[in-house]
Formats: sequence, structure tokens, C-alpha cells
Amino acid sequence: MNKGYETVKKGFLNGLSIIYTMVKVIVPFYIAIEFLKQTGIIGHIGYFLKPFMSIFGLPGESAICLAAGYFINLYAAIAVVAPLGLSSKDITIIALILGISHSLPVETAVTKQTGVNAWFMLAARILFSLISGFLLNILWTLFL
Amino acid sequence: MDIIFIALKDSLSLTIKLLFIILPLTISYEFLKHKQSSISRIRFSILGITHNGLVPLITGIIIGLTYGAGIIIHSIKTSNINKKEAFLILLFLSMCHAMIEDTLIFVVIGANGIILIVFRFILAILLTYFIYRSELLNHYVTDAENKEIKDKSTT
Repeated sequence: MNKGYETVKKGFLNGLSIIYTMVKVIVPFYIAIEFLKQTGIIGHIGYFLKPFMSIFGLPGESAICLAAGYFINLYAAIAVVAPLGLSSKDITIIALILGISHSLPVETAVTKQTGVNAWFMLAARILFSLISGFLLNILWTLFL
Repeated sequence: MDIIFIALKDSLSLTIKLLFIILPLTISYEFLKHKQSSISRIRFSILGITHNGLVPLITGIIIGLTYGAGIIIHSIKTSNINKKEAFLILLFLSMCHAMIEDTLIFVVIGANGIILIVFRFILAILLTYFIYRSELLNHYVTDAENKEIKDKSTT
């Protein structure tokens, strides 16, 4: 039974360390986005990137979520998505794109360690994440 | 000042919601890590991935690349997995990993989890099957690696 207790303890501590990393990312990002929204900068970025993001049926400002997810991690992306107030469809498309392709610096390093061609995997992840986003937008509009 | 205060409150409440997802998951992951041997007892091959490859594959699908890194790297390097198989495993995992955590944290902010899971599994299966069946893969492994694969398959 002692082994079970040790396992729970280890999992709990792992969870706490993830939450600590999460708070460090989510709180500053959330505040920064809220602040940028007030100053109108987000609106400008959104307007500028609208043509590109409309490929995925997303508003322009969601490009910031994608960048945060690609380069940092999913917690950063969530901190950006939450204050933007997007629809369930938009969030699902963003989640699909970022589910396939996120934390790229860290996960590419992991891929490299396994000995397979990490650059190919990186290219495949980015390419297929964008294709999936494009497809899901079309499928959602057609069937839901 | 008001905005910052509200943002702080909202971001902390989001973190607390995520906490209720993360903690049970990390605890179950620890139990799963001890179940490695029972995964390796499963005997079947799928999409060019043999039973040797099931430990890193299942670990990756459930736990993910970041937190499962230790198990994935170790099991690919130590068990009898050739370069082609390792490639197929990583290709599958690229499309379909950390399926529980990644899905749930987006469901918390309003995503449709079933669509996410079904879409990613179908994408991963189709892509892996296509690459496995095609000759494409030979371009991504060098001649030396090809020879290694042949050597391994004869022994």
C-alpha cells in the first residue's frame, strides 16, 4: 500500500509543479492581453491578420493564440484565448490546430532525442495543423 | 487599475479550473508509468508499428510528448524498434498526443472535445497508414539506416 501512496504523492507533486509553471505563464499573459485589448492594439493586429486567419474561419486576433501556442505552450495559448471571448467553433478550431502543433521548441527537442528526423516532424506538424484547421472550418460550416 | 485586478482574478480562476484537471491526471499518469509492463504484453501490430512500439505509442497518446518524454525516448532507444518504425510512431504521435490533457484544457474554455479527439485520431491513422504503405519513407531514412533495417529484419 506504501507504494501506492508514493505514486499518488509523486503524481501530486508533478501536478503542483505543472500548476506553478502554468500560473507563471497564464497570469502575466492574461493581464497583458486584457491590457492590449483596452489600448486597441489587439484590434489593429486583428485587422492586419484578418485575411490570413479567415482561411481558418477565425478572427484576426486569434493569430496571437496560435503564436503563443506554437512558440511557448498551450497554457500561454489558453491565457490568450480566454479573454478574447471567441465562439465554441473558433475555440475548437484553435484547439485542433494547437493540439497538433504546440510547444514546438520543447517537443522538437524530444523528437530529436528519439533519433528520427525532427525537422521533418516539425514541418509535418505545422503543415497538418494548418490543413486541419482549414478542413475543420469547412466541415463545421457544412454539417453543424 | 481595475482592468488589471479583474484580469488577475479571471486568470487565477482559470488556473484553478485547470488545477482540477491537471492534478487527477498527473496522479493517474504516475500509476500508468508502472503499468508499462502490461502494455508491453499486448501483442499486435498496427500501421507498421509492432508490439515493441506500443509502449512509446500508448504513452505518447495518453501522457504526451513533454511529460512522456522519458518513457518514449527510453523505450524507442532500448527496445528492438527500427528507424522506420520509430518514424511511424513519432509521425502518429505528432498528430495525436496528450489526448486527455490537451483536449480537457480546451474544453474548459469552451471547445468541443469529441470533435477534437475524433479528428486527430482519424488524421493520425490516415497519415501514418499512407506513409507506411507508400515508398515515401525511403527518402527520409538514409542508405545506412535502410541497411540497418534490413539487417535487423534478417536477424
